[in-house]
Amino acid sequence: MTAIELEGLTKDYGEVLANDDLTFSVETGEVFGYLGPNGAGKTTTIRMLLGFISPTAGTGQVLGHDIRDERALIEAKRQIGYLSDEPGFDEQATGNEILELHAAVKGDERSDELLALFDPPMDRQIREYSRGNVQKLGLVTTFMHDPELVILDEPTSGLDPLMKQRFAEFLRREKENGVTVFFSSHILSEVRRLCDRVGIIRGGELVTIEPIETLLTRSGKAVRIQSETPIPLTVLDIDGVHDLESSLPGGTDDIDPSSAFTECAFTFTGDINQLLAALSEYDLLDLSIEEAPLEDVFLRFYGGGTDV
Amino acid sequence: MGSLYLSIGMALLAAMIIWVYPSFRDAFDEDELLAAYPQELIQLFDVQTMTALEGFLAFELYVFGWVILLGLYFAYSAAGVIADEVDRGRMDSLLAMPVSRRRLLTEKFASLGVPIVIVNLLLPPVVLVGAWLIDESLSVADVFAVHLLSIPYLFACAGIGLVCSVVFDRSSIAQRVALGATFALFLMESVLEGTDYEAIGALTPMRYFDPNEILLEGTYDLVGAGILIAMTLLFVVGSQFWFARKDI
Repeated sequence: MTAIELEGLTKDYGEVLANDDLTFSVETGEVFGYLGPNGAGKTTTIRMLLGFISPTAGTGQVLGHDIRDERALIEAKRQIGYLSDEPGFDEQATGNEILELHAAVKGDERSDELLALFDPPMDRQIREYSRGNVQKLGLVTTFMHDPELVILDEPTSGLDPLMKQRFAEFLRREKENGVTVFFSSHILSEVRRLCDRVGIIRGGELVTIEPIETLLTRSGKAVRIQSETPIPLTVLDIDGVHDLESSLPGGTDDIDPSSAFTECAFTFTGDINQLLAALSEYDLLDLSIEEAPLEDVFLRFYGGGTDV
Repeated sequence: MGSLYLSIGMALLAAMIIWVYPSFRDAFDEDELLAAYPQELIQLFDVQTMTALEGFLAFELYVFGWVILLGLYFAYSAAGVIADEVDRGRMDSLLAMPVSRRRLLTEKFASLGVPIVIVNLLLPPVVLVGAWLIDESLSVADVFAVHLLSIPYLFACAGIGLVCSVVFDRSSIAQRVALGATFALFLMESVLEGTDYEAIGALTPMRYFDPNEILLEGTYDLVGAGILIAMTLLFVVGSQFWFARKDI
């Protein structure tokens, strides 16, 4: 069974085409990353799936229920957990009161366990909550009724690194228990740790859907090298080096800056061991290998465009 | 908690009005004071007489305090019930739960019934005890009636606010429009009275709740109350219809 199914889902605001003819599906038990730069239309898709806004064309189903049919969607929502990109709770209420409200409407199967894990300050009023605490309470209310499907919009925003780690481990366990996860993010490294498949959206259009391994091979790493002594550029003549930029600041006159470097930066999609082997005989000052910024991934593989 | 503060505020207003009444009563004969008021003001506030405590209360407390102040207050409050949740990003969390938009809207509106009922339950004893303290007698039935009949009136004003709350996404705009519309309706009903356009006033909730009539003549306009209930239902159903279809 498919947990989420989009069929030509479109949201046209007239001046902006927020979602353009999206068609894809998320299988039951899968962790699906919905990746795109800010403003790409991720939240629009999610809000259509939950019936907050209506599609201008096309349709979709969540857990087999038509998203355009409020009654059907309410049935589906009993088994859906949702975390908004900016979770909002009544500022006057305490964490406990919010939890009671959610328990009364959708039931409470496991809030104790979730509270122990995420630990938001339950006795305090929401107005005193930090952004991170609101996010923690949001995670508790999202999972407390033990839903079959969770839809998370930028779930780690506001969480500190420790909590991000805890959340990632938690999500892996949920996946093992068969929960379907649809989560949006603009951070590639976050998605790669957790997802089975990734859908990339840009400017409202679905660019690609790939298993995570494929995407990672294609996306590459941002590599920076610094050395004291000039390194011949031929060393970097290996597969997978793209957009090489090198310089030879303060270099001696007898070396041609186009044949050697002391500083360079490039995107690397090849075998990292091959790169390290090639560099091993040189004395480096610094070497950094980082996740390529998402924007670069888009530019490189899915065509340029200033509207990213 | 808000209901209690509101009731205390209105009780203080009532106590003050009753407290100053004896000095008015003793200082002026017949309706000298009333004669000193401009005719337009008398019409605007529908002042009948100020020589009897009933008339004084009808004008100072019920027309001013209930028809205008509380009418505006509940229109303003109701204008926040949906728009504020949307504005502050709380609506997504609410609608992600398995509840229909109609039910959510109805329950939010019904929650305004708490302050409306509480203020009208707590005030009659205050008014009656106040009158007794200054050696004036009031008809207990009339005082309870004016409060009872004000309940559908206040719900109708809240209904105006509710419509604004679903039509406008920004709560500050919804609340301003609700205040403006309610006050405009009050002016329309008062100013058009006695003119060729008097019939237009029939569209305003203020036409159907008249404190003077209740306190001075002891007549209770039950048809008017029925019309106010119908108006409220119309506002709620219209808001439901709109809210169920709109993009949040």
